[in-house]
Amino acid sequence: MSEEDILRKITEKFGESVLEARALGRRRISILVPPDAYKNVVKYVAQDLGLEFLSCLSGVDYGDSLEVVAHLGFSTQILIKTRVPKNNPVIDSITDILPAANLYEREAHDLLGIIFRGHPNLRRVFLPEDWPKGIYPLRKDYAPEHPKPLRGGEVG
Amino acid sequence: MSFEISIGPQHPIHVEPLMLRLSVEGELIVDVDVDVSYIHRGIEKALEARPYIQGLYLVERICGICNAAHSLCYCLNVEQLLGKEAPPRAKYLRIVVEELSRIHSHLLWLGHYFHTLGFETLFMYFWRDRERIMDMLELITGNRVTTSYNTIGGVRRDLTPEAEQRLRRTLDYIEERMRYYEKVIDSEPTILARTQGVGILKPSDAVRLGVVGPHLRASGVKHDVRLDDPYSGHDEIPFNVITWDTCDCYARVKVRIREVYESVNMIRYALDHMPSGDYRLKIPPFFKAPPGESLSRVEAPRGELVHYSISDGGDRPYRYKVRTPTLANLLSVVEMLRSRDGYEVYIADVPAILGGIDPCICCSARVMVTDEARRRRTIMTLEDVIKISRERGAKRR
Repeated sequence: MSEEDILRKITEKFGESVLEARALGRRRISILVPPDAYKNVVKYVAQDLGLEFLSCLSGVDYGDSLEVVAHLGFSTQILIKTRVPKNNPVIDSITDILPAANLYEREAHDLLGIIFRGHPNLRRVFLPEDWPKGIYPLRKDYAPEHPKPLRGGEVG
Repeated sequence: MSFEISIGPQHPIHVEPLMLRLSVEGELIVDVDVDVSYIHRGIEKALEARPYIQGLYLVERICGICNAAHSLCYCLNVEQLLGKEAPPRAKYLRIVVEELSRIHSHLLWLGHYFHTLGFETLFMYFWRDRERIMDMLELITGNRVTTSYNTIGGVRRDLTPEAEQRLRRTLDYIEERMRYYEKVIDSEPTILARTQGVGILKPSDAVRLGVVGPHLRASGVKHDVRLDDPYSGHDEIPFNVITWDTCDCYARVKVRIREVYESVNMIRYALDHMPSGDYRLKIPPFFKAPPGESLSRVEAPRGELVHYSISDGGDRPYRYKVRTPTLANLLSVVEMLRSRDGYEVYIADVPAILGGIDPCICCSARVMVTDEARRRRTIMTLEDVIKISRERGAKRR
C-alpha cells in the first residue's frame, strides 16, 4: 500500500473525525484525531489494514494539551496522534489491541503524567520510587537547572 | 505457595542494572516482573536544552555498543528537518562503519552468551576476534569505542586506501573464523541442549509484543529496517535478511552468526562500489531548524531504533524521543520466562533466555514470599526460612 492509499482509506473510513492527515515524506504519515476516536483508528490501522507492529508510543507537551503519538507499521510508519487537555489527561489505553504498548504507555504516564484508561498495570517504570508525586520531568513546566558548559579553562 | 527470587539489579556478569523478580514454584517460573528504573538518565529532557550539534555528542553516549547507530539515527533525523541529504560517498562510509559496529556487537553478544552458558573458551575466541574489528574502527574513525564518525551532513573522515586494504584483510579473517565457530556451535552437544527448544517466542507473539531486530528475525518474521525502510543507500546494496524458524535461543545464535556474514559482504560491496566525491556537506555548527517533525529509523545491532523529533523553529529540539531496541524487547523476556500449558521454563533457563544476564539469588540475601491468593508480600530472612523448614520437618516426622 502506498502512502496515498493508506491516507485515503483512513479518511474515507473516519471522515469528519480525522482532524488532519498528511504525508511527512517518504513512508511517513501523520494523522491527528480527537481522543474519543483514537482507539478506533488504532484498531482499524492495526487490524483492518494489517499494520499491527507498534514501534513506538510517545507523548509531547504542547502547553495546554498533551499529545499522544502512536507509531504503527513495518515499512510505512503511521503516526496516530491525539491531544488531551493538560488538566484532565485521560486517554484510552491501546494495550488490549497492541500489547506492545504496555511499557511505552507506562513510560508516557511516568514522564508526562498521561493517564491511560484500561491499562493493566500503570505503575512507574523509569523514575525512582521516591520521585515526588505530580512532577513530570518531560513536561515543559519542569525546568531543572542545567549545568553551564565548560569554556576556555574557567569552570562555571 | 510460590517464592519470589530477585535477580539483579547489580551483578558482576551483566553491566546494566536490571532487576527481575521471578515467582517460582519449585524450579518452575510462573511469573516475572521486570524493573528497569535504575539507569534512567533523562537524556530526552537534556536534548531539549542543547543546540543540535551538542545533542549529537549526548546521543552517542546513550549506548556504548550501538553508538554508531544512535549517531546515525540522530544525523538522519536532523538532516531530514533541515531538508538536506548526505552525499553518496558519506552514505556508503556510514554503511561501512554501521556494519562494522554490527559485527563487533554480534561478536560481543555471542562471546557473552556462551560465557553465561559456561563455555569460556568460546567467549575468549569471540572477544579476541572482536578486537580485530575494534582496531579497524579505530583505524577508520579514530576512536575504538565511541566512534564519533557520523556528523550532521555526512561523516568526519574519509577512508584512506591503506585502511581499505587492511579492512579487507580483516574481513577475510573474520569470515573464516565465523565459519569455524559456526561448526563448533553446531557440533557441541552442550550448547545445543542448552539452547534448542528453550525460550520459544512464536512469530505472532513476537509481532504482537513489538519485538525488534535479530530477536524478531529469529522468530521467523522477515522485518529489517534496512530492507523495509532503507535510510542510507541500503536500497543500492544487496543483502539477505536472515530469518530462522525454530523461534528458540538456538535461532537467536544462528541469526546473529549469519548476520555477520551478511555484514561482511555488505562492507565488501560498499568498498567495491564506493562513490567518489565529498564525504560531508558543509553545515555551520550552530543553526536553526525549520519548524516541523521528523522520524528516523535505523537497524541498530540490537534491532530497530526510533528517533522522533519536533522542531519549533529554534536552535534546539522542542521534543526529542528515543526508543531503544532493548525497551521493545523487554516485554518478550517476560513472555518467554513465564511457564504456560505445555511450555515449561526453569530457573536454569534464565541465563540462556536473558542472554547476557545471569541469575544472582544470593546477592540480596533474602527471600520474599508471595501469597498468590491474598497478593501479600512478606520479606523473610534466612533464619525464618530455616525455622519454618525445621518446624515443618518436625511435623512430618
